[in-house]
Amino acid sequence: MGSRIRVDIRDVTRIAVFAAIIAVLGIPGAIPVFGGAVPITAQTLGVMLAGAVLGRWRGAAAVAVFEALVFLGLPLLSGGRGGIGVFVGPSAGYLAGWIFGAFVIGAIVRAGTRRPTWWRTALGCVVGGVVVVYALGIPVQALVTQLSLAQTALSSTVFLPGDILKVVVTTLITLALWRAYPRAFGRGSEASALAERADSPVQQGANTP
Amino acid sequence: MIALYRPGASAIHRAPAGPKVLVFIAITLAITLSAHSAWMLPAAAVLVVAGYLIAGLGLGELAAQVVALRWLIVVMLVTQLVFLPALVALANTGRVVVVIALAALVTLTTRVPALLDATERTLAPLRRFGVNPAGVGLLLAMTITTIPVIAGLAGSIREAQRARGVPVRATTFVVPLLVLSLKHSDDLADALAARGVE
Repeated sequence: MGSRIRVDIRDVTRIAVFAAIIAVLGIPGAIPVFGGAVPITAQTLGVMLAGAVLGRWRGAAAVAVFEALVFLGLPLLSGGRGGIGVFVGPSAGYLAGWIFGAFVIGAIVRAGTRRPTWWRTALGCVVGGVVVVYALGIPVQALVTQLSLAQTALSSTVFLPGDILKVVVTTLITLALWRAYPRAFGRGSEASALAERADSPVQQGANTP
Repeated sequence: MIALYRPGASAIHRAPAGPKVLVFIAITLAITLSAHSAWMLPAAAVLVVAGYLIAGLGLGELAAQVVALRWLIVVMLVTQLVFLPALVALANTGRVVVVIALAALVTLTTRVPALLDATERTLAPLRRFGVNPAGVGLLLAMTITTIPVIAGLAGSIREAQRARGVPVRATTFVVPLLVLSLKHSDDLADALAARGVE
Protein backbone atom coordinates (compact mmCIF):
# COMPACT_ATOMS: atom_id res chain seq x y z
CA MET A 1 0.00 0.00 0.00
CA GLY A 2 3.07 2.18 -0.03
CA SER A 3 2.76 4.01 3.26
CA ARG A 4 5.62 4.94 5.53
CA ILE A 5 4.10 2.92 8.36
CA ARG A 6 4.81 -0.67 7.35
CA VAL A 7 1.84 -2.83 8.27
CA ASP A 8 1.67 -6.55 7.64
CA ILE A 9 -1.40 -7.41 5.54
CA ARG A 10 -2.25 -10.18 8.06
CA ASP A 11 -2.55 -7.56 10.79
CA VAL A 12 -4.81 -5.45 8.55
CA THR A 13 -7.18 -8.35 7.84
CA ARG A 14 -7.25 -9.28 11.55
CA ILE A 15 -8.27 -5.72 12.45
CA ALA A 16 -11.02 -5.82 9.79
CA VAL A 17 -12.24 -9.28 10.85
CA PHE A 18 -12.28 -8.38 14.56
CA ALA A 19 -14.18 -5.16 13.81
CA ALA A 20 -16.70 -7.37 11.97
CA ILE A 21 -16.87 -9.75 14.98
CA ILE A 22 -17.72 -6.80 17.26
CA ALA A 23 -20.49 -5.87 14.81
CA VAL A 24 -21.86 -9.43 14.66
CA LEU A 25 -21.82 -9.78 18.48
CA GLY A 26 -24.18 -6.79 18.57
CA ILE A 27 -26.82 -8.67 16.54
CA PRO A 28 -28.22 -11.55 18.62
CA GLY A 29 -30.30 -9.61 21.08
CA ALA A 30 -29.20 -6.69 23.19
CA ILE A 31 -30.30 -6.93 26.79
CA PRO A 32 -31.81 -3.53 27.54
CA VAL A 33 -31.44 -2.43 31.16
CA PHE A 34 -33.96 0.17 32.32
CA GLY A 35 -35.35 0.29 28.79
CA GLY A 36 -31.85 0.79 27.42
CA ALA A 37 -30.51 4.34 27.34
CA VAL A 38 -27.10 2.64 27.29
CA PRO A 39 -27.89 -1.03 26.64
CA ILE A 40 -25.64 -3.89 27.71
CA THR A 41 -24.86 -6.38 24.99
CA ALA A 42 -22.37 -8.95 23.83
CA GLN A 43 -20.82 -6.05 21.90
CA THR A 44 -18.66 -4.95 24.86
CA LEU A 45 -17.62 -8.60 25.10
CA GLY A 46 -16.20 -8.16 21.59
CA VAL A 47 -14.38 -5.01 22.71
CA MET A 48 -12.75 -6.82 25.63
CA LEU A 49 -11.82 -9.78 23.39
CA ALA A 50 -10.28 -7.45 20.79
CA GLY A 51 -7.80 -6.13 23.36
CA ALA A 52 -7.09 -9.52 24.93
CA VAL A 53 -6.61 -11.44 21.65
CA LEU A 54 -5.12 -8.83 19.28
CA GLY A 55 -3.07 -6.86 21.82
CA ARG A 56 -3.14 -3.14 22.50
CA TRP A 57 -2.53 -1.49 19.08
CA ARG A 58 -4.44 -3.89 16.85
CA GLY A 59 -7.18 -4.30 19.46
CA ALA A 60 -7.73 -0.55 19.73
CA ALA A 61 -7.59 -0.28 15.92
CA ALA A 62 -10.29 -2.95 15.51
CA VAL A 63 -12.61 -1.05 17.89
CA ALA A 64 -11.82 2.24 16.13
CA VAL A 65 -12.62 0.73 12.70
CA PHE A 66 -15.91 -0.64 14.05
CA GLU A 67 -16.84 2.78 15.44
CA ALA A 68 -15.79 4.53 12.22
CA LEU A 69 -18.34 2.40 10.34
CA VAL A 70 -21.00 3.27 12.93
CA PHE A 71 -20.14 6.96 12.42
CA LEU A 72 -20.40 6.53 8.64
CA GLY A 73 -24.02 5.40 9.08
CA LEU A 74 -24.08 1.61 9.36
CA PRO A 75 -26.56 0.42 12.02
CA LEU A 76 -24.01 -1.82 13.77
CA LEU A 77 -24.40 -0.83 17.41
CA SER A 78 -26.60 -3.23 19.36
CA GLY A 79 -30.26 -2.56 18.72
CA GLY A 80 -29.48 -1.42 15.17
CA ARG A 81 -28.27 2.02 16.20
CA GLY A 82 -25.72 3.94 14.17
CA GLY A 83 -24.93 7.22 12.47
CA ILE A 84 -23.39 10.39 13.80
CA GLY A 85 -26.17 10.68 16.41
CA VAL A 86 -24.73 8.11 18.82
CA PHE A 87 -21.49 10.14 19.00
CA VAL A 88 -23.32 13.22 20.29
CA GLY A 89 -25.71 11.35 22.62
CA PRO A 90 -25.25 10.25 26.25
CA SER A 91 -23.22 7.14 25.28
CA ALA A 92 -20.53 9.06 23.32
CA GLY A 93 -17.99 8.84 26.17
CA TYR A 94 -18.48 5.11 26.53
CA LEU A 95 -17.74 4.65 22.80
CA ALA A 96 -14.46 6.58 23.22
CA GLY A 97 -13.80 4.50 26.34
CA TRP A 98 -14.07 1.28 24.30
CA ILE A 99 -11.08 2.30 22.14
CA PHE A 100 -8.84 3.27 25.09
CA GLY A 101 -10.19 0.31 27.08
CA ALA A 102 -9.19 -2.20 24.37
CA PHE A 103 -5.71 -0.65 24.34
CA VAL A 104 -5.34 -0.95 28.14
CA ILE A 105 -6.68 -4.53 28.11
CA GLY A 106 -4.14 -5.48 25.44
CA ALA A 107 -1.32 -3.80 27.36
CA ILE A 108 -2.13 -5.66 30.60
CA VAL A 109 -3.07 -9.07 29.17
CA ARG A 110 -0.04 -9.21 26.86
CA ALA A 111 2.49 -7.52 29.18
CA GLY A 112 5.85 -9.12 28.42
CA THR A 113 4.37 -12.34 27.07
CA ARG A 114 1.90 -13.67 24.54
CA ARG A 115 0.42 -16.38 26.68
CA PRO A 116 -2.67 -15.13 28.53
CA THR A 117 -3.09 -16.10 32.18
CA TRP A 118 -6.47 -16.00 33.89
CA TRP A 119 -5.51 -13.36 36.45
CA ARG A 120 -3.88 -11.00 33.92
CA THR A 121 -6.86 -11.34 31.57
CA ALA A 122 -9.35 -10.70 34.38
CA LEU A 123 -7.30 -7.76 35.72
CA GLY A 124 -6.92 -6.28 32.24
CA CYS A 125 -10.65 -6.52 31.55
CA VAL A 126 -11.56 -4.95 34.90
CA VAL A 127 -9.12 -2.05 34.46
CA GLY A 128 -9.51 -1.51 30.70
CA GLY A 129 -13.02 -2.81 30.08
CA VAL A 130 -14.71 -1.37 33.17
CA VAL A 131 -12.60 1.34 34.90
CA VAL A 132 -11.34 3.07 31.74
CA VAL A 133 -14.73 2.84 29.97
CA TYR A 134 -16.59 4.29 32.97
CA ALA A 135 -13.90 6.95 33.57
CA LEU A 136 -14.55 8.32 30.06
CA GLY A 137 -18.23 7.45 29.81
CA ILE A 138 -19.60 8.93 33.03
CA PRO A 139 -18.20 12.51 32.64
CA VAL A 140 -19.46 12.76 29.03
CA GLN A 141 -22.86 11.37 30.01
CA ALA A 142 -23.00 13.92 32.86
CA LEU A 143 -22.09 16.70 30.41
CA VAL A 144 -24.71 15.68 27.83
CA THR A 145 -27.51 15.12 30.33
CA GLN A 146 -26.48 18.10 32.54
CA LEU A 147 -26.58 15.95 35.68
CA SER A 148 -23.80 15.93 38.28
CA LEU A 149 -20.99 13.33 38.14
CA ALA A 150 -22.19 11.65 41.34
CA GLN A 151 -25.76 11.32 40.06
CA THR A 152 -24.59 9.92 36.73
CA ALA A 153 -22.16 7.51 38.41
CA LEU A 154 -24.95 6.29 40.67
CA SER A 155 -27.26 5.58 37.71
CA SER A 156 -24.41 3.79 35.88
CA THR A 157 -24.01 1.18 38.61
CA VAL A 158 -26.90 -0.81 37.06
CA PHE A 159 -24.45 -1.85 34.32
CA LEU A 160 -21.80 -3.14 36.75
CA PRO A 161 -23.22 -6.68 37.23
CA GLY A 162 -23.38 -7.18 33.45
CA ASP A 163 -19.86 -5.83 32.99
CA ILE A 164 -18.43 -8.08 35.72
CA LEU A 165 -20.16 -11.05 34.04
CA LYS A 166 -18.51 -10.05 30.77
CA VAL A 167 -15.08 -9.92 32.47
CA VAL A 168 -15.59 -13.54 33.59
CA VAL A 169 -16.82 -14.66 30.14
CA THR A 170 -13.96 -12.84 28.34
CA THR A 171 -11.41 -14.55 30.62
CA LEU A 172 -12.93 -18.00 29.98
CA ILE A 173 -13.05 -17.41 26.21
CA THR A 174 -9.48 -16.02 26.03
CA LEU A 175 -8.02 -19.04 27.86
CA ALA A 176 -10.13 -21.49 25.79
CA LEU A 177 -9.01 -19.74 22.58
CA TRP A 178 -5.34 -20.07 23.63
CA ARG A 179 -5.83 -23.84 24.01
CA ALA A 180 -7.82 -24.20 20.78
CA TYR A 181 -5.93 -21.82 18.46
CA PRO A 182 -2.75 -20.20 19.88
CA ARG A 183 -2.02 -18.71 16.46
CA ALA A 184 -4.78 -16.21 17.20
CA PHE A 185 -2.47 -14.43 19.64
CA GLY A 186 0.50 -14.00 17.29
CA ARG A 187 1.42 -11.00 15.23
CA GLY A 188 0.48 -11.64 11.62
CA SER A 189 3.97 -12.29 10.32
CA GLU A 190 4.92 -14.43 13.33
CA ALA A 191 1.69 -16.36 13.49
CA SER A 192 2.95 -19.54 11.84
CA ALA A 193 6.18 -19.57 13.86
CA LEU A 194 4.21 -19.08 17.05
CA ALA A 195 2.04 -22.11 16.40
CA GLU A 196 5.14 -24.30 16.51
CA ARG A 197 6.68 -22.59 19.52
CA ALA A 198 3.50 -22.66 21.56
CA ASP A 199 4.21 -24.54 24.78
CA SER A 200 0.56 -25.47 25.20
CA PRO A 201 -0.54 -28.48 23.13
CA VAL A 202 -3.17 -27.71 20.53
CA GLN A 203 -6.32 -29.40 21.74
CA GLN A 204 -8.68 -30.18 18.96
CA GLY A 205 -12.35 -30.76 19.38
CA ALA A 206 -12.82 -29.49 22.93
CA ASN A 207 -14.08 -26.09 21.91
CA THR A 208 -14.93 -26.40 18.26
CA PRO A 209 -18.55 -26.82 17.13
CA MET B 1 -25.18 -4.46 4.14
CA ILE B 2 -28.24 -2.38 4.94
CA ALA B 3 -27.25 1.21 5.66
CA LEU B 4 -29.42 3.84 7.31
CA TYR B 5 -29.40 5.91 4.07
CA ARG B 6 -32.76 6.92 2.49
CA PRO B 7 -32.46 7.70 -1.23
CA GLY B 8 -33.53 11.12 -2.42
CA ALA B 9 -32.63 14.07 -4.68
CA SER B 10 -33.06 17.04 -2.33
CA ALA B 11 -30.53 19.82 -1.83
CA ILE B 12 -29.49 18.18 1.44
CA HIS B 13 -28.96 14.84 -0.34
CA ARG B 14 -26.86 16.51 -3.05
CA ALA B 15 -24.69 18.54 -0.65
CA PRO B 16 -21.11 17.18 -0.48
CA ALA B 17 -20.61 14.81 2.44
CA GLY B 18 -17.59 16.48 4.08
CA PRO B 19 -19.03 20.02 4.38
CA LYS B 20 -22.39 18.54 5.44
CA VAL B 21 -20.74 16.85 8.43
CA LEU B 22 -18.81 20.05 9.24
CA VAL B 23 -22.01 22.15 9.22
CA PHE B 24 -23.65 19.57 11.50
CA ILE B 25 -20.72 19.72 13.95
CA ALA B 26 -20.90 23.54 13.96
CA ILE B 27 -24.67 23.54 14.68
CA THR B 28 -24.24 20.91 17.42
CA LEU B 29 -21.54 23.01 19.08
CA ALA B 30 -23.77 26.09 18.93
CA ILE B 31 -26.70 24.21 20.50
CA THR B 32 -24.51 22.73 23.25
CA LEU B 33 -22.70 25.99 24.09
CA SER B 34 -25.95 27.98 24.34
CA ALA B 35 -27.66 25.39 26.54
CA HIS B 36 -28.90 28.09 28.91
CA SER B 37 -30.49 30.34 26.28
CA ALA B 38 -34.29 30.06 26.18
CA TRP B 39 -34.42 30.69 22.42
CA MET B 40 -31.93 28.07 21.32
CA LEU B 41 -34.08 24.97 21.77
CA PRO B 42 -37.17 26.21 19.83
CA ALA B 43 -34.90 27.60 17.08
CA ALA B 44 -33.02 24.29 16.82
CA ALA B 45 -36.30 22.35 16.77
CA VAL B 46 -37.58 24.52 13.89
CA LEU B 47 -34.29 23.92 12.07
CA VAL B 48 -34.64 20.14 12.46
CA VAL B 49 -38.26 20.14 11.19
CA ALA B 50 -37.27 22.34 8.23
CA GLY B 51 -34.35 20.03 7.47
CA TYR B 52 -36.51 16.90 7.34
CA LEU B 53 -39.08 18.69 5.13
CA ILE B 54 -36.43 20.04 2.72
CA ALA B 55 -34.83 16.58 2.49
CA GLY B 56 -38.22 15.18 1.47
CA LEU B 57 -38.14 12.75 4.38
CA GLY B 58 -41.31 14.23 5.84
CA LEU B 59 -42.49 14.53 9.40
CA GLY B 60 -43.23 10.78 9.44
CA GLU B 61 -39.50 9.97 9.24
CA LEU B 62 -38.75 12.58 11.92
CA ALA B 63 -41.40 11.01 14.15
CA ALA B 64 -39.90 7.58 13.50
CA GLN B 65 -36.45 8.85 14.55
CA VAL B 66 -37.87 10.34 17.77
CA VAL B 67 -39.85 7.16 18.50
CA ALA B 68 -36.60 5.21 18.10
CA LEU B 69 -35.23 7.36 20.95
CA ARG B 70 -38.25 6.69 23.21
CA TRP B 71 -36.33 4.74 25.88
CA LEU B 72 -33.53 7.28 25.95
CA ILE B 73 -36.14 10.03 26.39
CA VAL B 74 -37.94 8.15 29.19
CA VAL B 75 -34.76 7.26 31.08
CA MET B 76 -33.29 10.77 30.70
CA LEU B 77 -36.52 12.46 31.79
CA VAL B 78 -37.01 10.20 34.81
CA THR B 79 -33.43 10.54 36.13
CA GLN B 80 -33.45 14.30 35.47
CA LEU B 81 -36.82 14.83 37.19
CA VAL B 82 -35.41 13.20 40.32
CA PHE B 83 -32.60 15.76 40.57
CA LEU B 84 -33.71 18.88 38.63
CA PRO B 85 -36.74 21.18 38.21
CA ALA B 86 -39.24 19.95 35.60
CA LEU B 87 -38.61 22.73 33.07
CA VAL B 88 -34.82 22.23 33.12
CA ALA B 89 -35.27 18.46 32.81
CA LEU B 90 -37.53 18.94 29.77
CA ALA B 91 -35.10 21.40 28.13
CA ASN B 92 -32.09 19.09 28.68
CA THR B 93 -33.92 16.10 27.22
CA GLY B 94 -35.24 18.17 24.32
CA ARG B 95 -31.73 19.39 23.49
CA VAL B 96 -30.33 15.85 23.30
CA VAL B 97 -33.27 14.69 21.13
CA VAL B 98 -32.85 17.68 18.75
CA VAL B 99 -29.10 17.07 18.33
CA ILE B 100 -29.57 13.33 17.70
CA ALA B 101 -32.41 13.97 15.21
CA LEU B 102 -30.16 16.44 13.39
CA ALA B 103 -27.34 13.90 13.28
CA ALA B 104 -29.78 11.32 11.91
CA LEU B 105 -30.65 13.79 9.13
CA VAL B 106 -26.99 13.76 8.00
CA THR B 107 -26.89 9.96 8.16
CA LEU B 108 -30.23 9.54 6.35
CA THR B 109 -29.24 11.79 3.44
CA THR B 110 -25.62 10.71 2.84
CA ARG B 111 -24.46 7.50 1.16
CA VAL B 112 -21.82 5.44 2.99
CA PRO B 113 -19.43 5.48 -0.03
CA ALA B 114 -19.65 9.30 -0.14
CA LEU B 115 -18.70 9.44 3.55
CA LEU B 116 -15.88 6.94 2.92
CA ASP B 117 -14.51 9.23 0.18
CA ALA B 118 -14.87 12.26 2.45
CA THR B 119 -12.97 10.37 5.17
CA GLU B 120 -10.12 9.63 2.78
CA ARG B 121 -9.96 13.30 1.72
CA THR B 122 -10.05 14.47 5.35
CA LEU B 123 -7.14 12.17 6.19
CA ALA B 124 -5.07 13.38 3.22
CA PRO B 125 -3.13 16.03 5.24
CA LEU B 126 -2.05 13.28 7.64
CA ARG B 127 -0.08 11.64 4.82
CA ARG B 128 3.09 13.47 5.91
CA PHE B 129 2.81 11.72 9.30
CA GLY B 130 2.84 8.34 7.61
CA VAL B 131 -0.93 7.78 7.51
CA ASN B 132 -2.11 6.20 4.26
CA PRO B 133 -5.65 7.54 3.48
CA ALA B 134 -6.26 4.97 0.73
CA GLY B 135 -5.20 2.21 3.11
CA VAL B 136 -7.68 3.44 5.73
CA GLY B 137 -10.40 3.52 3.05
CA LEU B 138 -9.54 -0.05 1.99
CA LEU B 139 -9.61 -1.21 5.63
CA LEU B 140 -13.08 0.31 6.18
CA ALA B 141 -14.44 -1.08 2.89
CA MET B 142 -12.94 -4.51 3.67
CA THR B 143 -14.63 -4.54 7.09
CA ILE B 144 -18.01 -3.72 5.52
CA THR B 145 -17.70 -6.71 3.17
CA THR B 146 -16.44 -8.96 6.00
CA ILE B 147 -19.45 -8.41 8.33
CA PRO B 148 -21.85 -10.63 6.29
CA VAL B 149 -19.15 -13.35 6.14
CA ILE B 150 -18.71 -13.38 9.94
CA ALA B 151 -22.51 -13.23 10.43
CA GLY B 152 -22.73 -16.29 8.15
CA LEU B 153 -20.11 -18.14 10.22
CA ALA B 154 -22.04 -17.27 13.40
CA GLY B 155 -25.24 -18.61 11.82
CA SER B 156 -23.68 -21.93 10.76
CA ILE B 157 -22.06 -22.46 14.21
CA ARG B 158 -25.42 -21.87 15.88
CA GLU B 159 -27.15 -24.32 13.51
CA ALA B 160 -24.46 -26.98 13.96
CA GLN B 161 -24.67 -26.68 17.75
CA ARG B 162 -28.46 -26.75 17.74
CA ALA B 163 -28.40 -29.91 15.61
CA ARG B 164 -26.11 -31.61 18.15
CA GLY B 165 -27.95 -30.26 21.18
CA VAL B 166 -24.97 -28.26 22.52
CA PRO B 167 -26.26 -25.91 25.26
CA VAL B 168 -26.11 -22.28 24.13
CA ARG B 169 -23.45 -20.56 26.25
CA ALA B 170 -21.25 -17.59 25.49
CA THR B 171 -18.05 -19.68 25.58
CA THR B 172 -19.26 -22.56 23.42
CA PHE B 173 -20.46 -20.09 20.79
CA VAL B 174 -17.76 -17.40 20.76
CA VAL B 175 -14.64 -19.63 20.82
CA PRO B 176 -15.46 -21.46 17.55
CA LEU B 177 -16.59 -18.13 16.04
CA LEU B 178 -13.18 -16.60 16.86
CA VAL B 179 -11.26 -19.59 15.49
CA LEU B 180 -13.20 -19.66 12.21
CA SER B 181 -13.06 -15.85 11.85
CA LEU B 182 -9.31 -15.64 12.42
CA LYS B 183 -8.75 -18.45 9.91
CA HIS B 184 -10.88 -16.45 7.46
CA SER B 185 -8.68 -13.43 8.24
CA ASP B 186 -5.54 -15.35 7.24
CA ASP B 187 -7.21 -16.59 4.02
CA LEU B 188 -8.19 -13.00 3.24
CA ALA B 189 -4.59 -11.88 3.82
CA ASP B 190 -3.27 -14.62 1.49
CA ALA B 191 -5.79 -13.60 -1.17
CA LEU B 192 -4.78 -9.93 -0.91
CA ALA B 193 -1.05 -10.76 -0.92
CA ALA B 194 -1.56 -12.93 -4.02
CA ARG B 195 -3.12 -9.90 -5.73
CA GLY B 196 -0.15 -7.73 -4.83
CA VAL B 197 -1.63 -5.68 -1.98
CA GLU B 198 1.44 -5.01 0.20
